[in-house]
Amino acid sequence: MSGASSRGRAAVLRNRLVLPTLGAIVLLAAWQATVTLYSLPIVVLPPPWQVATTLVDLFGTAAFWRSVGVSLYEFAGGYVAGVLLGVVVGLAMGESRTIRAVATPVVESLRFIVPFAWIPLTVLWFGTSLVGKIVLVAYAVFFVMTVATLRAVQNVEPTLTRVATMLGMARWQRAVRVHLRAAAPSIASGARAAAALGWIAVVAAEYIGSSAGLGFMITNAAMSLATGVVIAGMIVIGLIGAAVSALIAWLSRTRLAHR
Amino acid sequence: MNAADRPVDHPGAAAMPGGELAFDRICHEYATQAGCIEVLRGVSFDVSPGSVTCVVGPSGCGKSTLLGLAAGLITPASGEVRWDRAPVTPGTNLHLGMAFQQPGLFPWMTVHENVAIGLRTRGADRATARRVADEFIATVGLADFRHAYPSQLSGGMAQRVGIARALALRPRLLLMDEPFAAVDAFTRLKLQQEFKALLALHRPTVLFVTHDVSEAILLGDRIVVMSQRPATVLREIPVSREDRNRASAAYARKLAETLECLGVPSDGGSE
Amino acid sequence: MTTASAQAAATPGRRVAHWRRARRLPGWVLGSVGVIVALAAWIALSQLLAGGGGVINRLPGPAAVLRELVAYASRDLLTDVAASLRVFGIGWSLGVFAATGIGLLLGRLPALGHTFLPIIEAIRPVSSIAWVPLSVVWFGFGLTGKVFLVGLAVFLVVIVYAVDGCTRIPDDLARTASMLGMSAWQRFRALILPGTLAEVLIGSRVALMAGWGTVIVAELVAADSGLGAHLIAVQQSYDVPAVMATMACFGITGFVMNGVFSLVEARLMPWRPRASGRAT
Repeated sequence: MSGASSRGRAAVLRNRLVLPTLGAIVLLAAWQATVTLYSLPIVVLPPPWQVATTLVDLFGTAAFWRSVGVSLYEFAGGYVAGVLLGVVVGLAMGESRTIRAVATPVVESLRFIVPFAWIPLTVLWFGTSLVGKIVLVAYAVFFVMTVATLRAVQNVEPTLTRVATMLGMARWQRAVRVHLRAAAPSIASGARAAAALGWIAVVAAEYIGSSAGLGFMITNAAMSLATGVVIAGMIVIGLIGAAVSALIAWLSRTRLAHR
Repeated sequence: MNAADRPVDHPGAAAMPGGELAFDRICHEYATQAGCIEVLRGVSFDVSPGSVTCVVGPSGCGKSTLLGLAAGLITPASGEVRWDRAPVTPGTNLHLGMAFQQPGLFPWMTVHENVAIGLRTRGADRATARRVADEFIATVGLADFRHAYPSQLSGGMAQRVGIARALALRPRLLLMDEPFAAVDAFTRLKLQQEFKALLALHRPTVLFVTHDVSEAILLGDRIVVMSQRPATVLREIPVSREDRNRASAAYARKLAETLECLGVPSDGGSE
Repeated sequence: MTTASAQAAATPGRRVAHWRRARRLPGWVLGSVGVIVALAAWIALSQLLAGGGGVINRLPGPAAVLRELVAYASRDLLTDVAASLRVFGIGWSLGVFAATGIGLLLGRLPALGHTFLPIIEAIRPVSSIAWVPLSVVWFGFGLTGKVFLVGLAVFLVVIVYAVDGCTRIPDDLARTASMLGMSAWQRFRALILPGTLAEVLIGSRVALMAGWGTVIVAELVAADSGLGAHLIAVQQSYDVPAVMATMACFGITGFVMNGVFSLVEARLMPWRPRASGRAT
């Protein structure tokens, strides 16, 4: 929406900047108003300013960064494993009708048991250790990436396949150098969705059965009614999720763009 | 794959002359959810070495299937496709090059890389591939766009790159699947002229599928007219030099003859 | 190029080498083979680990899980499923309702939309599961908290569809409405509302899985009733077959819900291509 006229540009400014900022202000004002008007105790809803200071305080605490580190470590390990396995399996399913027919019922049925339902089982098997969370994240990410890769590979323009064969590429060459490469942008957006799911799976697992990590920190705060910390923690969850998503988007834009 | 099929790798060298392509009583069908669809029934014709045969027919009649059969991408249900008197081997065949309706350029590669990749996968070393690719890109007049990406090219330009890519392989058999169908009429006329000129330099055997009868007359030494599905050969119509002059009566006669064969009355139907 | 020829040419190598063989094996045969292989691997693995080797102790075989499932079914299964479905049903309905209403408001009044939609967009990526501890603080472990979480999850998914539905009126429909001289209210009823509801229907189906997943997390934390509570209970008594049986119940219920909703969607909007949402 490029406003050639100054009126156009003013409208863009208004819509993209002024109004959203206004909205944020309205939200914060409503928040503050709710706290004051209903005289809500801090354990129920601390005022915005308090949450902000709590957040800043957290950033200065070593324990906080340790928790974040644990969660990120669990996420990263599971995510990388899940993406690699998922892309490989998805590509195999895309290339071979046999593999696809054999694997689909298994994949489709397991899909309905959402990753969160696996949390108690991973606690039974792995205790509250890091390994359990990594396995959980890998599982969640694997399914998203398998489906995303399969669909992306199936949507590759058929002409490219014929060209690759005509040029003399062997089947595996064609699969990796053409199909995978052509499907890469689509797979990358699947990777972003997988990251969101994987990250929230870590948090959920830490809510339920954990002895360390960001989710554990937040659950403790909830138990001791330190609501300010809870809200600050939620904000941190959101920020990290956004950062990971932006990182993947940036990587795919710079490395994979078809230009 | 014998030595005769390897691309010759010094610039300016002519490719080995084209061989003979023969379709012998080809029948073919496809299995779809609706059942078996018979697409070709008893198709037989030859393409003599170094000549251009244009296949015309209604859409969906299996013209593209013929190209797939010639390329070894498809195995016929019955009958035989022969190249140089031997049955076509299934899978990759290095004696041929193919151009498709969609240019099919790899979007993540530049024009140059797109033309060179075929040479590389067929065993040429990097330097040779680069040289030959440049040569053919220049031949289609896109030397300035060597480092452009397909998204930056117009439809006609992309098609030219596709043709350059096929020709750079120095094929003895060139298979063209309605390569000019997806561009506008003016670009099509230009591309037809350029293609004719390119064919004069290297003389492969050409099987050219098109729905455009005037294109078939312009480019072909012979026109093979196919019927509706299940397709058979209705007629083989030779084309001579005089027929190609669009202003001549011979052209009009040839056009009329082909259209009649396709079931299109040449007097414009009832008024 | 006909679709058939495109399809055939798309996998030339396979077609040439195996097309006769593969043609003889229909999809369901291969699929059954896959399931059998998976089950066999499961049994083998459980035998292997029964000796006490490896990290994963106690992997019951499919037979043990099935036995547990049957036992569970004869006891509390239906009660628990009912409790979970109740939470889901209320939360999902509230979420869809709120999303439709607010979506219409924000979509049709651009000033409001530009003001508040960015906030919603910012919150959307933060799954409602992150809200679990806060919901515990606010609502404790009861029904309200769980309904809130499910409703929030569903709302965040459906709001996008609702806004899309009421803002993206195809141009030619809008022009037709103008030509026919429709009043604003008529336009709303005939054009905007159906379009919005159609999108909302699609979105609420997508939200099914999000909402159902939230139910189980909420119940895992609250642990007072429903499938999630049962899951925690059997986990704490180290009853692995029961844990796996409960997980299976959860999956089966989700699968059935998805199927039912697909049927409803197909009946209500027969002109829409079936959005299976999954690649096969």
